This record gives sequence, C-alpha cells and structure tokens, in this order.
Amino acid sequence: MAPQTASTLEPPPGTIGEPALRIIGLSKTFPGTRALIDASLDIAPGEVHALVGQNGSGKSTLIKTLAGYHHADPGAHAELGGESFSIGHDVPRTLRFVHQDLGLVHELNAMDNLALRGGFIRGAAGRVRWRRQEAETHRLLDRFGVELDIHRPLAQATPVQRTIVAIVGALQGWDGGEGVLVLDEPTALLPHEEVERLFDLVREVRRAGTSVLYVSHRLGELFEIADRVTVLRAGRVVTTKSIQQVDGRTLASLMVGEDVDPDYRAPSAARSDAPVVLQLRDVQGHRLRGVDLDVHKGEILGIAGLAGTGMNELPYVIAGCAPYPVGGRLRMPQRADAWLDVADSARLDIPIVPADRAREGIVAEFAVRENLTLSILGRLGRRGRLGLREEQAVAERWAERLGVVSAGPDALISTLSGGNQQKIVVARCLAREPDMLVLAEPTAGVDIGTRVAIYDLVAGLARNGLTVVVSSTDLGDLLAMCTRVVVLRDGRVRAEFGADGLTEHALVRAMEGEDDADPGHEKRS
Amino acid sequence: MQTLGTRNAPEMAPATATKLAGEAQQQRPAPDRPSVATRVARGMAFDKIGAIYVWALIALVFAIWVPDRFPQYATVKQVLNANAMTALAALSITIPLTTRTFDLSFAFTMTMAGVTTAHFVAVGSPLAIAIGAGIVVALLIGLVNATVVVVMKIDSFIATLATGSLIQALITMATGDTPIQSLRLAGPFSKIGQTELFGITLPVYYALVVALGIWYLLEHTATGRRLYATGFNPDAARLAGVSVDRLRFMSLVVSGVLAGVAGIVLASTLQSGSPTAGDPYLLPAFAAAFLGATQLKHGRFNAWGTIIAVLLLGTGTTGLALANAPQWAANMFVGVVLIASLAVTGIQRRQTTGRGRFSLARLRRASA
Repeated sequence: MAPQTASTLEPPPGTIGEPALRIIGLSKTFPGTRALIDASLDIAPGEVHALVGQNGSGKSTLIKTLAGYHHADPGAHAELGGESFSIGHDVPRTLRFVHQDLGLVHELNAMDNLALRGGFIRGAAGRVRWRRQEAETHRLLDRFGVELDIHRPLAQATPVQRTIVAIVGALQGWDGGEGVLVLDEPTALLPHEEVERLFDLVREVRRAGTSVLYVSHRLGELFEIADRVTVLRAGRVVTTKSIQQVDGRTLASLMVGEDVDPDYRAPSAARSDAPVVLQLRDVQGHRLRGVDLDVHKGEILGIAGLAGTGMNELPYVIAGCAPYPVGGRLRMPQRADAWLDVADSARLDIPIVPADRAREGIVAEFAVRENLTLSILGRLGRRGRLGLREEQAVAERWAERLGVVSAGPDALISTLSGGNQQKIVVARCLAREPDMLVLAEPTAGVDIGTRVAIYDLVAGLARNGLTVVVSSTDLGDLLAMCTRVVVLRDGRVRAEFGADGLTEHALVRAMEGEDDADPGHEKRS
Repeated sequence: MQTLGTRNAPEMAPATATKLAGEAQQQRPAPDRPSVATRVARGMAFDKIGAIYVWALIALVFAIWVPDRFPQYATVKQVLNANAMTALAALSITIPLTTRTFDLSFAFTMTMAGVTTAHFVAVGSPLAIAIGAGIVVALLIGLVNATVVVVMKIDSFIATLATGSLIQALITMATGDTPIQSLRLAGPFSKIGQTELFGITLPVYYALVVALGIWYLLEHTATGRRLYATGFNPDAARLAGVSVDRLRFMSLVVSGVLAGVAGIVLASTLQSGSPTAGDPYLLPAFAAAFLGATQLKHGRFNAWGTIIAVLLLGTGTTGLALANAPQWAANMFVGVVLIASLAVTGIQRRQTTGRGRFSLARLRRASA
C-alpha cells in the first residue's frame, strides 16, 4: 500500500483520560460454545482501534453483542463516554455500526437509502419534501467530499461509493464528537485502489473526534489506518498493542497462536516447458478488450488489475458463466485442436470458485454435504437414484482432506465460518476431478490460517498437474501462490511477471500503469 | 433432465433402498450414527411435523364437539375423497415452487384441460383421444408458461397471472361461458374420477401416486437436489454447473401437465366441462403447498408436507361442516390455521437455529 500516508498520520492518542468505549468482562455463551470469554476492551477518544482475529475468534459475536443482536451473558460492564449502558440490550445513540453487508437497498438511490435510516423530511399530509430531502442528502455527503449521483440506484454505484453511503448513513443525525463508529470489514469487497478513499473518510471521521472500531482481515491495511490493535483468539482478548509495536508477522502469530508468516509463499514448481493447456485469443467482454493468454500445465497463473480492467470478469469468462456477452476464441489444445467460441466455453467444464461466496458460492439453506456434492450429483448413485450413503462418504472424505471444521456433513453450511465455507466451495470444484480450476477472490473474508491452508492446497494440486487460474484484488494471494502473474489494464494484458520478478511493488506499479514493467508489451497511449 | 418424467418410478424405490442399505451397513458400521430412538425423537420434533400435532388436536376437538358424527370411518372417507382434488392441485405446483417459480395459471390449466377433454367426450371421440387432447393442451400451456418465464425472463408471478388470464379468455371464448353437458360425460369417462376402491375414490389413489413420484424425484434423484439448489440460490447453482434455466423450464412444463391431469379427473368427477371448474383450487393449493413446506423438510417444498397440509385443512373444514358451523367458518379456519402454523414454525426455527434474524440478504435474493 502507499507508504507515504504513514507520515501524515496524526500521533496516536494515548490512553490518557476517559476511554470513549470501555467493555469489561464481556462473555457470550451459545448452546454448545462460548463465543466470547471475559473480553475487555478500551477505545480511546478519536482513535482508530483495529480488532483482528481469525474466523470464529469472536469478532462478529463481539460486534453483534455491541449492536444489541445478541444478549451478553450477565456480569459484563460497558460504558460509553463514561456512562455505563447495558451491553447487548441497549445501544447508545453515539455508538454506530456499518455491518459487512452494508444494509443498503441496491434498487434505491443514495438519497432514499440515507432517508430510510435518518427519516424523510415530511410536510403536510405526510408528503415527502423532496427538494429539502435532496439538499439534506447533499449536505450529508458533502461533509465527506463524496461525489455521487444521488438519483441513481446504488446498484450502479461503485463498491466504495456504496460503502461510503453506508457509513454516511450510519453517522446521520450526529455531527461528530465523542462516540464510536464500528466498521465491520469495510474493505472486504473493495478493490485495491478504492481502499484509499475509504481511509480518507475514516480519517475524516476521526478528525471530528469520533473513535472507530475497525474490523478487518487485511492485516496490511491496519498499519496504514489503525492506532492500536486488539487481537482476539478463541473468544479471548489476547492483547491490545499500539500498531507501532507490532508487525505483520507478530500480528498473524498472535491471531493464530503459533508462528505464522503473512508473507508465506506456497512452494510450487512451475516448468516453463510444460505444454500449453489453455489458449485464449482476442477475448472481449464487458470490460475485456482483447485478451490473449497461454496457460501452461501445472502453473498457477495470477490475474491482477484494478477494478474495471476486466480482471474480475476473466475467470467467469474462462469458466463459461460470464454475466455479459463475450466474444473471442479459446481452446484446450490437449483435448481438441478446434477453436471454440468463448461464448461456448461452458463446454470445457472448468469449475470456478466464485468471488462472492454468500451470493454465488454457497446455498445457505443446504447442509455442508449438499453444498459439497452439488456439482457431482450425476455421479452419485445408479439409475438416476441418488446414493445418499455414497454422498455422505464423499462429503466426509473431502471435509477431512481439506480440514473443514464443522458439526458434521449434515450441519447447515451457514453455521460454518467463512473460511470453512470457502473450503467447501473449493472442495465442490475439486470433487469434479478437473484438470483445470479457476479461482476468483479465493480468500475474501477468510482468516489467515485458512488462507495459508488454501494456498498450500492449491500449490499441492498444481504440483500434481492441476492448472490453476486465479484472480484476486488481494495481492497477497497472488504473491503467495502464483508461478506467473499477468496484469490487466484497459481490458488487455499489459504486463507479465514470472515468479522471480514478482514483488508487490512491481505489481502495483504495473496495475496503476506508471510505467510498463515488461517492455515487450505495448505501451499505454 | 430428459428423464424428469420417467424417474417417477416409485415401485423401484423400496427394493433398491433395502439393498443399498444392506451393502453400506456391511462396509461401514458408521459408529457415530444416531440411535434409532434419537432419530425418531428428532423426526417427531414439533418444528418438523407441527402440522401433524395440530391435525391430531383438530380431530380431537371435533371428536368431542360432534361425537356422534365425526369419529366415524365415513368421515375419514369424506375427508380423503373431498380433498383429493386439492391435493392433486397442490402437488402440481410443488415442483415449480421448489425452484421458487410460481405457476398461478395452474387453476386455469385445470379448467382448460377439463373443458377440452369434456368437449371431445361429448362429441363422441374415443376416451383415449379425449384424454390425450386434454393433456396435450395442458402440455402446450406448460410450454408457453416456461417460454414466457424462462426464455423471456418475466417474473413468474406476474407472467403466469398473465397466461392464466389468457387461458381463461380462451375457455370463455370456446365454451360461451356455459358448462359442457352431455349424457356421454356420465358414461365411462365418469369412471375416472368416481370409481371407488375400498370405499375410497380413485382420485385419492392418483394423489398418492403423484405424491410418491414427487417425493422420489425431490428426495432421491440428482434432479431433485438441483431443483432445490435452483430455488435457494440460482446464482450459486448456475456457477456449480446446474442448468438452472432448463430445470425451471421443465418444472413449469411438468406443472402444466400435472394440472391438466388434475383438470381431467375433476371434469370426470363433475361429469361436465365447467368453464370455472379449476377456480376454487387456486388459493387452497398454494396454501397447502406453503404450509407443507414448513413440514418435514424445514422450508423445502415437499410432497408429503403438502399432503399433510391438505389433510389438516380438509379435516378442519369437514369437521366444521359436520358440526353445522356457519358457512364463513371454513374460510376463517383456513386463514387462522395458516397464519398460526407458519408463525409457530417461524418462531421454532429462529429458536433452534438462530436464523431468520439476519435475513436481509436472503430477502434480497428472493426478490431478485
């Protein structure tokens, strides 16, 4: 991330005086598990306080208890700005939340979304006074310097615009000052370059004297935005430290409980002389403007790029499930010599791990077993009859192989942590015994322990001959796994890195097009 | 998919089941399997089969209220015979509903198929041809529905409302809004719906066979699982390689044919081709299907849940009739039972799984 911003940080406020939010001895017991055990937390006025921990460490429970969704176990004490409140029952007015799914109605525009929370300005007979409503909306958004067409449905806004609308909505009716804004994974779905805009807004909130409780899986961000960090592990607070006292490695180790390297690189052996197994020629799409690509057997090819470059479109095109009309040719030379129209790429039967797990990956109403076997149902059983025992055995085998933590194959998938859900989606693809696999955002919302497990798994499969194409906005994924990375810009391949020249710095430069890393490729005009 | 119809072969189910069970037991003793008692207890849980308890309660109430007429074998027969048509109607919409596709036109399809068959019987065509004509008409309606909903991508609720209106227009155009009456309709044709076996009319057996077929399809075939996946999360299903559009297309075609069959049976029972025969079944069928979805399978539309729901509602209305309750009582009963049972199941589920609270995403998905 951009290093120069570190120097513009104001000095982190100390813990002198009354904390903005103080929680003492918070526990939460669910049937069968204790999600939070005697957790205590102090947030200083005007600080950005990061909360980190693996999936299932109690982060979400803590936030949902704060937000009043869960009742706390008796015995907890909490105060906001010196005034105690009943945590898990009351939510003080100056404690505001932006949850991960943002809670926006995408079909409505920014003005309606803000008014849904803050109330409409009404005249006689309940008529909404639209002109004043509009002025109010502009006033709210202008405070954070947001430029946005408030009359367009949010579905057409960019992810960061939606995030900002959600934050502005959460802060309505409160003009700064003491209080706490809770941001739950605000950057999980944001492309790399938009994160900076969100940070500007967070700094703006802090400048108004408001504290921010900032939850994120992306450890790198914390060094840029946070003043202090609290680590949760298995329901307990491990430590709270000033951000200067820790680095990525110690933070990761604190979260996992054993030594973990956040700059982990999965061992892989790519051979450049391996045969080409997939060729794309002049692939066009919504954002793609003619991509040519050769993928070799057993390599893990990364696709990098900013939002709007077609980087998140390409995996879907390869897997034959692009949401927009596509053009161009592709073939898998080892299977057939003939070129296929890209629109027919579904025939190649390449499985995909989709980017948005909740929306495109899992079937929330299904059990773990049903989610896992969804793609191989045809193979289970005989004469059209589904072999339920065979299915059970397959599900158990894969869950064991990928180390899935769940209450068993018949547990609802929604009871699993994000990382374990992701493992099930990956297992679903692998159960098809493919020779090629496409991954989009493979570690979004996945904790660092599971992340490394996924890197290792993919690298191991590649060593055994599986060819993998992976796109990710999290450069850590690409750095950890890939044997080669191509960078898309303006819908075309603009740069390419082998495992040797692959550094975060080089990738970011190539993505942003400051200069072309590979002189062999054509320059941007 | 092409075997969607032929997979409804219930007679092979029990034999294969025992064989497979025996094999698997030998291979793998499966130590962590819950005991029979636990499984029975779990199966009897209120949140799974609440309707059966309510049903028992209703039967008990009427047995006390009208002790001379309600607890009779004749009442059992009456409940079964009087509700077989509702069951057939409700079963016909169960398959599209698993994919979250509404077929609101099914009642008109019933009428259309019934009128068509009655017409051919009345003009003296052979029975097979008359029935064939009715089913072909129903199949065509199913294809039109499927085309409008899946190919033209119009929301199924409004699309089938529209096709239903078109079908009603055709019916009125063809019949002049007068029922098709003929002595021939009281001939062999009337046997289809009126023959009794052990004191129970044939439509009850038809409903049983259709329920068995749908149960087998949904529970024991890959197609069934894919149908549920399509209903719950079409995007995820598509990306997992499920032919979402083809399934929704086929489900509407099958629903049309089943509604056609129901319509022909109904015409036989009525011995006429009434231009409004199917109308009374529209709401009870959806009520039963939705109530049935809360039973046995936790929110999945399923055959036996639908049957239980039909019997529950049917027992209540029959009991009320036997008790000489006023006419409005039956409708009020259906409304109260529906709201009460859906509310209770909802509360139960929230308590057991904690779900239903953060359902914004699911709502959004359902409305998309």
